[in-house]
Amino acid sequence: MRAYWQLTLSQLRIFLRNRQVLFWTLAFPLFLMVILGSFLGNGNGISLTIGVVDQDQSFQSKEFLTTLIENKALTVQIEKSENKALNKLKKDDLQLVVVIPKGYGASLSRPPAKNAPYLLPVYFNETNIAVTQVGLQVVNNLVDGISKEKLDYHPVVVMDMKGVETLNLKYIDFLIPGIVAMMIMSNNMNGVAGQIAAWRERGILRRMQGTTLKASTFIAAQITARLVLNGMQALIVLGVGHLIFGVEVRGSWFTLISFVILGILAFMAIGFIIAGIAKTPESAAPIAGFLSFPMLFLGGVFFPIKNMPEFLQPIIQILPIAHLSHALRETMNVGASFMSLGTEALILGGWLVGAFIIASFTFKWE
Amino acid sequence: MDSQEEIIRVINLVKTYGDFTAVKGVEFQVHKGEVFGLLGPNGAGKTTTLEMLVGLRKPDQGTAIVGGFDITKELKKVKEVIGVQLQSTSLFELLTVEEILHLYASFYPKQVSIPSLIEEMLLAEKRKSRIKSLSGGQKQRLAIALALVHDPWIIFLDEPTTGLDPQARRTLWDIILQLKKQGKTIVLTTHYMDEAHVLCDRIAIMNQGELIALDTPSQLVKNLQSDSAVEFRFQNESSEVELHEIEGVTKVGNQKDVFVLYTDDLQLTLTSLIHMASDKQLKLTDLQTRTATLEDVFLHMTGRRLREG
Ligand SMILES: Nc1ncnc2c1ncn2[C@@H]1O[C@H](COP(=O)(O)OP(=O)(O)OP(=O)(O)O)[C@@H](O)[C@H]1O
Ligand SMILES: [Mg+2]
Repeated sequence: MRAYWQLTLSQLRIFLRNRQVLFWTLAFPLFLMVILGSFLGNGNGISLTIGVVDQDQSFQSKEFLTTLIENKALTVQIEKSENKALNKLKKDDLQLVVVIPKGYGASLSRPPAKNAPYLLPVYFNETNIAVTQVGLQVVNNLVDGISKEKLDYHPVVVMDMKGVETLNLKYIDFLIPGIVAMMIMSNNMNGVAGQIAAWRERGILRRMQGTTLKASTFIAAQITARLVLNGMQALIVLGVGHLIFGVEVRGSWFTLISFVILGILAFMAIGFIIAGIAKTPESAAPIAGFLSFPMLFLGGVFFPIKNMPEFLQPIIQILPIAHLSHALRETMNVGASFMSLGTEALILGGWLVGAFIIASFTFKWE
Repeated sequence: MDSQEEIIRVINLVKTYGDFTAVKGVEFQVHKGEVFGLLGPNGAGKTTTLEMLVGLRKPDQGTAIVGGFDITKELKKVKEVIGVQLQSTSLFELLTVEEILHLYASFYPKQVSIPSLIEEMLLAEKRKSRIKSLSGGQKQRLAIALALVHDPWIIFLDEPTTGLDPQARRTLWDIILQLKKQGKTIVLTTHYMDEAHVLCDRIAIMNQGELIALDTPSQLVKNLQSDSAVEFRFQNESSEVELHEIEGVTKVGNQKDVFVLYTDDLQLTLTSLIHMASDKQLKLTDLQTRTATLEDVFLHMTGRRLREG
């Protein structure tokens, strides 16, 4: 037990005295956050999927649907229930939802009652202003076209726009949880791999092997020290995000911290595997880089995962970073509870356990 | 000698790397309280032997009993009673002397007082300095201090003085003799004959993975059966000169162009050498005579010098 505390303490001292490493591991995420946060603002990639709920099932509603489908700018997805469609809208699986209420067809075939046009409800996600604007424009044109066709330039159908999400989220809200995830990945996976490989090369581990120290004590102390350090770094990034950009943690701190810890452990375990595989400390960094680089771009750190090409989706769905960034995001932005993030917790946990099992086989003192 | 208590028994240790056998069935015993030297040229297998004894390499054959425990079966017990300083170790450079001693002490169930250990190893001034900033001699003393934190009975030192200046070496010799006085058993390797002579009670000479001699330093020199050595060079490339035929010569050695004649009768050999040289019109240079040393024992037995170059 004394060995465990002493090793933890020593590792923390080494971290704190290695000013340069300490500075850059913090400076990089903060720099990214400020740069991307200031310049990219609200932007988001644009891909429009529109959900249509046809409650009317009339000739006219079918006709409307066909027009939508014919439009190249949109992907149309037929939805059975309005509630389900709205849920998908909230999750950003759909960008717009058009509901064709009962009686739509009947009202169009009737001669227009005075000047009151028919109100067609279109739901959009306020968190995605840029996408929504484009989407509404497209649908508006279509609706216009239909109504012009129906009656000489008298608008028969008019969109009735309804915002759904009330949270006012911007790109920075998306970005910060991603940056925390990125920091956890690189500090732990790359950090552990590099450090352990270097210590092994320099014979530091070998000298410890000559004592009665157990490998498990050594590893436990490594984990503890890194939890403390990375926990503090994550707090600093969140703190700066809050001060500069007003980003908030909407969910519980318990959930957030749980996922930070899970992420640190899972990536450390992967780092131990790399340290075990790497023959020299020089090869540890490129191996870690080879794994972390694609994860940065595919794993939902900077860009939403759904913007990634379809054929990559199955791969992305098993990446630990994807689940870590998603879980952090859901917790911070939406306030999701730990229970509702069970899948993410399970997949990260799976990585953690699997990686530690492999690491225990590949770990070498020398 | 046999009356002494045995603390290490090495039984037929073998270590192979691929198809190269680095240690070929070495056997010896170390007595309690002695300083035991392993001597040999580069690549003789000293480090390999030592590291098998401390559990850092697995022997391919044979075993050793260290402090009453078998190194292949009770390694943890062995580690509790031994202290180790390796030939090439680096430590956490960013920790201070005091911190790393506390760290290593925490690995063991038993420990000595760190402040007095620092005092004994002459590191008091450097107590709060980072390891990075220590000199070579100070680092070496720290490495030995780390081997002593848990008050072991047996201390293994692999080339404790290599690379140090003469003054730092002497400081270390004092420390090692001090440890011996405290009743510790010390096993060390070295390339330096003078060091072996000053420190070691007994010396084992290794060459190419084999133990070729084991005795006290004075006995080893005595066994050479020649108490003097004559060293010289020929000014020009000498060809077929039968140095064996010079009177009184018991053994001839050479190292590059330096010849060494071992003899029991210095005067006879010298006059005979000079006669021969003038007969054959050879010019002798750098002629010197001295009493035979361990270095000569070594050259005699292996045909090689301890340190190359
Ligand atoms: N890990 C290894 N793999 C392959 N060969 C090795 C290994 N370690 C040592 N050897 C070889 O075994 C032989 C003995 O090495 P060892 O280090 O024991 O020599 P030594 O007597 O300590 O030499 P020195 O005086 O230079 O320290 C050498 O020929 C060396 O090249
Ligand atoms: Mg050696």
